[in-house]
Amino acid sequence: MKTKQPFVRIVRRTDFPLWAMIIINIAAVLVAVGIGAILLAAIKVDPFVYYKDMFTIGTIDNRFAYKNFEGLIEFFVPLLITSLALALTFKMKFWNIGGEGQFIMGAISSATVALLLGNSLPSWLTLIMMAVCGAVSAGIYGLVVAFFKVKWGTNETLMTLMLNYIALYALKYFGETQAGWNFFLSGESVRPVFATFPESAWMYTIKIGKFSLNITLVIAILLCALIYIYMKKTKHGYEISVVGDSQSTAKYAGMKVGRIVMRTMFLSAALIGLAGTFYVSTAHSLSTSVTNNVGWTGIIVAWLSRLNPVMILVTSLLISVLRVGCQTAATNFPVIDSNFADLLQGIILFTVLMADFLTRFKIVFRKNTEKEVEDK
Amino acid sequence: MNIQIDALNTVTMFLFNIIVYNIVLLYGTVGEIITEKSGSLNLGVEGTMAVGAIFGYLMGCYTNSMMIGILFSIISAGLCGLLFAFLTVTLQANQNVTGLTISTFGVGLYFFVGKGLGDNFPAMSDYSAISEGANPIYIPFLSDIPVIGKVIFSQNILVYVGVAIAILAWVYLKYTKPGLKLRAIGENPAAADSMGVNITLYKYIHIIIGSAIMGIGGYYMGLVLRGSFEGSSCWTDGYGWIAIALVIFASWSPAKAILGTIIFGFFNTLQSRSGSLAQAFPDFLGWLKDIPAQFYSALPFLITAIVLVAESMRKRKNKNEPSAVGINYYREDR
Repeated sequence: MKTKQPFVRIVRRTDFPLWAMIIINIAAVLVAVGIGAILLAAIKVDPFVYYKDMFTIGTIDNRFAYKNFEGLIEFFVPLLITSLALALTFKMKFWNIGGEGQFIMGAISSATVALLLGNSLPSWLTLIMMAVCGAVSAGIYGLVVAFFKVKWGTNETLMTLMLNYIALYALKYFGETQAGWNFFLSGESVRPVFATFPESAWMYTIKIGKFSLNITLVIAILLCALIYIYMKKTKHGYEISVVGDSQSTAKYAGMKVGRIVMRTMFLSAALIGLAGTFYVSTAHSLSTSVTNNVGWTGIIVAWLSRLNPVMILVTSLLISVLRVGCQTAATNFPVIDSNFADLLQGIILFTVLMADFLTRFKIVFRKNTEKEVEDK
Repeated sequence: MNIQIDALNTVTMFLFNIIVYNIVLLYGTVGEIITEKSGSLNLGVEGTMAVGAIFGYLMGCYTNSMMIGILFSIISAGLCGLLFAFLTVTLQANQNVTGLTISTFGVGLYFFVGKGLGDNFPAMSDYSAISEGANPIYIPFLSDIPVIGKVIFSQNILVYVGVAIAILAWVYLKYTKPGLKLRAIGENPAAADSMGVNITLYKYIHIIIGSAIMGIGGYYMGLVLRGSFEGSSCWTDGYGWIAIALVIFASWSPAKAILGTIIFGFFNTLQSRSGSLAQAFPDFLGWLKDIPAQFYSALPFLITAIVLVAESMRKRKNKNEPSAVGINYYREDR
């Protein structure tokens, strides 16, 4: 039987060279930045001036440039850890979009430890206790979802989405309710304001001149290396990718899929909780916008990086510059606010997804000579 | 006597607000149900609504016509749908990531346009046709009935349009042939494909229509909030996410979504007006003011989470959730 071939066909390919992949992705980012420039020009902002401000995060001709770098690190560390953690579950095709909620859980529990302990224990012990509590509580918050998924097949995407908002409103409740029991709030203020942590709960910094290097940066980069090893070189990492490729293969190979899913989700959520701890101990207090949307941004970072830990390091730095840069640039340009970062980040993802398509698929046009199509 | 009239007024206003400020949920939910029935999980409701809101409102004001406003909210939100469809159906990109990005992108675009206009942002009071369009309509006799007349028969025109769209969508999905094919795609695309259904076309059309309906919802919020642009919060502030929750609560049925909108709207309204209820009925509703507002805000999500778990616990697979939702269909993978 003769079947007519469609005019355009999309065929999967695996032969795309690495160098071309890198070039095409960089080109995609540049296209996105170009679209951003057109948008800026449309509202009569000089894109060159704006981008200069943004990509240098306002450090040029700035006596307090070190402050901007500190701000960048404060944003970068949680984003890096969150993106790495999300990549672990995404690799398994388990859609943990609950980064926001897990981050908040980590932040609330470590703040509880910090505020209740006060200065009663040495600083290193307080910080370790905060980290453990933050990680474990967030881990459990994530584990619950994995448990439901494994036991009854509950949709994890929607479930984690709901848990995000439950955690967020819990945080808002603590932040807006003035009552005797509410130790989260500062006792001195008339309006509800989150209390500042006691000094023993402040994250260590290393002074380099005026610049103080937050040690969470070192820990985050170490974690990045560890997760790289975990994903690529260990049995656990192998199990994750097998489950991601095909659950039935994993079962056939004798893997306990349920256990792998729950273990990985706990680990992922715990890491995000740790990111929450790092953030509050650096900022020295809670806030209702404690997450800075890293739970959402982390999803984009992980995806842009194709779930590769090394790429995540690069991408999360780029996105951090973009976001912190937009905040600093917003002070000089009254017609733009920091939401421009959301816009630009969205455009980058769209162009990269289109580029990604070219690397994964081949577009085949129908040849003029009509041939019989063989079935595979 | 006076106190009784006040109490009655409070109840009437409370019920009125449930509908007027929450019908946006119905638009968002119906749009998302149509999208999900085609097997696509579009998490970009919030962003799509924001885009529809800002462009619909601006174009409506510039032309001083509500119809043009609605038209542009449909077009701009439909373009978001087209983007989602292009990326996920043609380019096979991941639906969760694409949808979430449309959410942040859309809200970013909303603020970019609003801020960029600055002082030139049109005020609703300058445009007679727009502000009249948002006014309650008057139906002879029916609008004069106490309480019900105000609550049900004195809403603005877009409330009735929203309900009509929901009922139409319900009939379409349940009783028409294209609706049946659509459900088949959502359940088992490979089977639908072998029956000769044009999956790509169906997905494109329904994702775009779904997004367009969400866009009208966003435009509606602009009208109800009297078009005052604030730099800090978006008109669609979080409604898109509640709509995604409501899809589950309504178990993928546009008809149940009407009921769900009223229930979720009830919680939303309690959040802002529980104080006035407690004041009007201190004896048996006085306890309302002791419940924190954040609890009411979290309630839609809490209930949905419980519904999600409960539905999956029942051994029978929930028949209403499209089995293939969230999974891209690639013919050669079949």
